[in-house]
Amino acid sequence: MQEKDILQEEIKEVEKLLTVNKLTKENATFSETKGGFITLLLDGEQKGQVNVICTFPFTAPNEFLSVRTADDKEEELGIIENLNDFDEQTVLIIKKQLEIRYFMPEILKVFSVKEEYGHTYWSVLTNKGKHKFTSPSGSSGSVIRNGNRVIIKDSDQNRYEIKDLSKLTPKEMKKLDLYL
Amino acid sequence: MSEKRPLSEMPKGLKQIVEDKKLLKTKLLIFAEADMNSACDFCRFVLLLTEDALVVGTNNKLGFSDPDNKEIDYSDFSFTEYKISELSNPTITTYVVGGMFSAKIGGEQTPICAFTNAYKGRVMRIKEILSVILENKEIKPERLFEDKRDEFCHKCGMPYPEKNRKICPKCMDKRKIFFRLASCFKPFKFKLVLISVLCILSALVNSVWPILNGTLLYDNVLAKNKANSVFEALPFEDFSIFLLILVFMMVGVKILQQLFGVIQGILVAQIVPKVVADLKNKVFASIQHLSVSFFTGKETGGLMSRITSDATNVTNIFIDGLPFILPNLFTIIFSCMVMFATSPLLAVVAIATLPPAVIISIKLEPVLWHYNSRRFQTARDFRAKLNDNLTGARVVRAFGREESEKVRLQKVNENVAAAQTDAMNFDVKYTALYHIAQSLSSVLTFTIGAAFVLAVFKPQMTYGTLMTFTGYVSLLAGPANFFSFIFRWWSDSMNSAQRIFEILDAKPEVTEDPNAVPKTNIKGNITLKDVTFGYEENREVLKNVSLTVNQGEMLGIVGKSGAGKTTLVNLITRLYDVTEGEILIDGVNVRDMRFSDLRKNIALVSQETYIFKGTIFDNIAYANPSADRKTVIDAAIAASAHDFICKLPDGYDTEVGSGGRGLSGGERQRISIARAILADPKILILDEATAAVDTETEKNIQASLKKLVKNRTTLSIAHRLSTLRDADKLVVIERGKITEQGTHKELMLKKGEYFKLYQIQSKALAMRGIGD
Repeated sequence: MQEKDILQEEIKEVEKLLTVNKLTKENATFSETKGGFITLLLDGEQKGQVNVICTFPFTAPNEFLSVRTADDKEEELGIIENLNDFDEQTVLIIKKQLEIRYFMPEILKVFSVKEEYGHTYWSVLTNKGKHKFTSPSGSSGSVIRNGNRVIIKDSDQNRYEIKDLSKLTPKEMKKLDLYL
Repeated sequence: MSEKRPLSEMPKGLKQIVEDKKLLKTKLLIFAEADMNSACDFCRFVLLLTEDALVVGTNNKLGFSDPDNKEIDYSDFSFTEYKISELSNPTITTYVVGGMFSAKIGGEQTPICAFTNAYKGRVMRIKEILSVILENKEIKPERLFEDKRDEFCHKCGMPYPEKNRKICPKCMDKRKIFFRLASCFKPFKFKLVLISVLCILSALVNSVWPILNGTLLYDNVLAKNKANSVFEALPFEDFSIFLLILVFMMVGVKILQQLFGVIQGILVAQIVPKVVADLKNKVFASIQHLSVSFFTGKETGGLMSRITSDATNVTNIFIDGLPFILPNLFTIIFSCMVMFATSPLLAVVAIATLPPAVIISIKLEPVLWHYNSRRFQTARDFRAKLNDNLTGARVVRAFGREESEKVRLQKVNENVAAAQTDAMNFDVKYTALYHIAQSLSSVLTFTIGAAFVLAVFKPQMTYGTLMTFTGYVSLLAGPANFFSFIFRWWSDSMNSAQRIFEILDAKPEVTEDPNAVPKTNIKGNITLKDVTFGYEENREVLKNVSLTVNQGEMLGIVGKSGAGKTTLVNLITRLYDVTEGEILIDGVNVRDMRFSDLRKNIALVSQETYIFKGTIFDNIAYANPSADRKTVIDAAIAASAHDFICKLPDGYDTEVGSGGRGLSGGERQRISIARAILADPKILILDEATAAVDTETEKNIQASLKKLVKNRTTLSIAHRLSTLRDADKLVVIERGKITEQGTHKELMLKKGEYFKLYQIQSKALAMRGIGD
């Protein structure tokens, strides 16, 4: 009897694992705590603090967002198929959260790029302020270019983004040209 | 042991302010910095933790404080004090980059600061100690210290390019490295001196050429004038004889030049390969002694390039660089002397017009180098893609993706072509520009010189002298070029040398105690006492694990993937050292045992099987190279490997490539089991030893394992619980902790996690009709 129960329970658990719980504005209400964290009310049940994770951070940052509990288990509570289906306020707080999670300052201006002894030294202006960093040169993966969008990873694995290369001045482009 | 530094050490400027403002009431435990506010803007933060308060200071100034300003100005920082009693639930939320430090303040989880990866370690430590204080536990004193390390170079203030490699390529002591490197060439001292002498000799011979080709030819032989020349002492008057002599001299010079070159080449060929091989051997030898953690911390690719290209890089400067410094210098001085002696004015003109070419070379050579490295990079990418496609040929065809693969390869190929075009374009332009600059210089010199010949300026110059003069001007170009890149070359190879020495000097993290007591006869009693371990700091994989296995017993280890099972056995074999607690074998701490005793008595059959390049016989005999054919066959039979080996055309002599190409997963696993059987260890570790084989083979292997585990202490990790039923004891590990212990029967009665897992597995198997 008991063995059967365990199996049933397990099957339920597996089924739960295998079904995607779609979060919509009808069943899910997100709100922001004073401390700036997000909580979720799902089907009338308070789920507490949650983390929102992009499943396609580069190619579709607003789609298929996985919402997970903020504890060690990081259990998935559901998926937001398209963030824009939600109301403005929700979009705002989730976007704010994502921006922090995928912290990636945007490079607005390139002061100098210098290559020395196998490392590239960058000095740039980002939307988060002036910054200097070093990236290992020649190693694939430190500079990812996708059309006009460039993502640079420094030696600490921090990321920086140039949203649109064509918006840089020709002088800056010239400085960058060799490193892309 | 690396030097330890107390975490309470503050920068001077901050210390002053903390004292002036009397910010701390009790002793500072930890100081940390962070670089972002809760909105993730770059911003300076300092965190000061004492036993009764957390003080947070910030200047709220947006923008990253410039790392060039080694001294940060703390005078405009404002400080907030949080009493420990006000705080609860300190949390680090990790993000893709860095994370956020928050705590419950007044019932609300409140962000304190955020940080990028560079500052992660320290902030995590603050959180850790804060949690300990909040739980009213005792702070372990060693957690208030860290290995001495810095983020920025002491000399120039630049951040270290690689954080775990505290070396500033700009400021490293290149001379010291150079002399250390020079010691590699000691056995070839004599030959190196000979090379240098040859270099000087060929420089001398080179400098004679413009005289033969200029004054002697035009002013003496062609102008039929014997005066002021080597011919003056000769008794002939026939100038065709002089011409013949001159031709012989010219041919002689050319032959000498080539001769010196050939001897030099032979000498170089004798030295370089030996030194390179020697360096590689040394690097390889010291890699063998390093702990496993060294390899997990670095990319294998990086290691390969260190062994291969760095050694070559380093030797090049000794062969193509250093011996030429003196001759080049000699050429410059000698040419200048001749030029100034011939015509000071013209010499000044020639030297003054030389810099443009040198500047072009200094400025553009690195750019050219860059284009070329991009060319190599794209070529590498292409090779990788090609390799991908060829090894994945079956998958490509199975999914009918031939067409799209073509397109994918085409794209990469186009990149290669584009990079090549760019490099060639630049090369052509660069060469043209360089030659124009050089030609302008010689044309200018020549024009002014011609004016001297035509006697427009005084004193008049002969045509031959002008030819000699321009000959020397062009001789200057080579050395000027040489000195323009030798400095860059020098630092590059010293950087390579530094990397090599780093491996040579690396201290293994797991070291043998020099006073270790030899203990050849191990019985096999294993005891773990409060073992805690993590691969990374602040991330414990095992927490306070204690267990005992008596000699000859079999211990089954059960748990979900990632629970820490493999880590546990890695610690027993001492691939890593425990962070806290101890592991005893027969009552002796594994740290006090010799590696050879430990490894000889423990054999591991793991889920990663590795087959070395060689025959199957060699692979089985790897554990005991002196084993004869009979013993190897016996081991193979015991591992159920004999049958499949016999079916191979070359039997035990079958060559298996690196990575064991040509063998299936199950076959490889059986070979590694045979290897373990042959090792005849007192302690046997089976880490998912039968995971890759089919049920039939598994049954065979289980049978042979049953034979094998007799009289040995066995630790067996398995997902299929049925294989562990016979174990004397089972432990269930969950998230790095032992949650259940006992025999199969006891655990089944307990109806806990093991019971649950067992039920699911047997039911699931029964449903598919393959249960026992």
